[in-house]
Amino acid sequence: MNFRLSIHAVAVAGLGWAAIQMAAVDAFCQAPNYGPPATSYAIEAARYPDAASKPTPHVADGHPDLSGVWHHYFNGLVAKVGDKSFTLNFGQSVPTAKAGGPPAPQAMPDPEPQYKPELAAKVKRLNDNQVKEDHTLHCMPPGVPRIGPPQQIVQTSKQLVFLYADLTGNHWRVIPVDGHHSADPEEESTYNGDSVAHWDGDTLVVDVTRLTDDTWLGDNGLFHSAKLHVVERLRRVGDTIQYSMTADDPTVLVKPWTITRTLTLQPDILAEMPPCVDNDAGHYVNSEHHDNAR
Amino acid sequence: MRTKKNLTLAAATLALALPLLAHHAVSAEFNSDKIVTLKGVVSKVDWVNPHIFVYFDVKDESGKVTTWRLQSLPPLFFKGSGLTKAKLLDGSEATITAYPAKDGTDDFGFLLKLSYPDGHFYNLGGGTAPRDGTPPDPAK
Repeated sequence: MNFRLSIHAVAVAGLGWAAIQMAAVDAFCQAPNYGPPATSYAIEAARYPDAASKPTPHVADGHPDLSGVWHHYFNGLVAKVGDKSFTLNFGQSVPTAKAGGPPAPQAMPDPEPQYKPELAAKVKRLNDNQVKEDHTLHCMPPGVPRIGPPQQIVQTSKQLVFLYADLTGNHWRVIPVDGHHSADPEEESTYNGDSVAHWDGDTLVVDVTRLTDDTWLGDNGLFHSAKLHVVERLRRVGDTIQYSMTADDPTVLVKPWTITRTLTLQPDILAEMPPCVDNDAGHYVNSEHHDNAR
Repeated sequence: MRTKKNLTLAAATLALALPLLAHHAVSAEFNSDKIVTLKGVVSKVDWVNPHIFVYFDVKDESGKVTTWRLQSLPPLFFKGSGLTKAKLLDGSEATITAYPAKDGTDDFGFLLKLSYPDGHFYNLGGGTAPRDGTPPDPAK
């Protein structure tokens, strides 16, 4: 526990460093994952501090326009040295924000999902052995909800497409509006599940079922059952989206688990990720890993 | 000691930056207490997630070529660096430093830095490598 706390402290200190990097290098944002919480989203938001006060655009059918790139991988780790050389500077000392300097973005820890007491040992075992047990380390898709909020949304009146460029590969979801879940009881569950959406006023509500239990809810052993039911809510406010994800799995959780994010419209394109190739599996000699701040 | 400290810091910062990568530690695969220095030519590059791999041909005194397989970081880490497969594969002789594998696999390591005769370098290891840009001391 102390180790986790100390890592968390360093990670939070890193936000000050990130703020400085952002000012100097323009951009520093990161992976769409429920690991380190709001951090990267806060950094993206800090690039456009007045985004929420912009007018909220609507499409022809009157609904808010959710299209756009809302999150992408970071850059800004590179420190150029002369014309041809560079150093990746993520491992340098972590300065704290100086008085009068840019404020450190806020990182609010996510709540932990509350497992049934008898399942705590399983979470710990999976966490302790995550080098082997975490399928994303071996290039398997994180799936919903671990994949995180959509990085890009393409919206039509009849369907939305959520796009994700992830270290594990390029993933997508096609989500019909006012559609129905598959009625085929023999249809196999999938990593991103069976998603349908409807508008609740200005909020898009996405209902996800038929999720495989091969995935986790998040990092560090947060397993779930095949009975997992996910509801995402997206509400555009200016050039931001208020996003929430609620995972309900009464088989393993005491109560539904909700995560929230503020997404900020980004001007960048969502670049294709190179393929993921698991070259490491045979070379681990122990279970050493990094705990993520939560 | 400084290398160890840097490694811990890099681990923490990576956890902040990139959770999907951050779970397995460099130390789960590589011996960060030992640094090997090699002279040779890059012969192949796999530009893939979650780590790029650089293949490095090293010729011994008898002329026998050994190809080292060197793991590095995710492609996206190099965004803005100008580093490309073509640059790595330009045929130039380079000196590299790397952590060797812990599991005893021959010629397998974690790439820290490539340095070229004209003085330019690519410090891929970032915080896991000495931060002043000089090659690590192989004795450490």
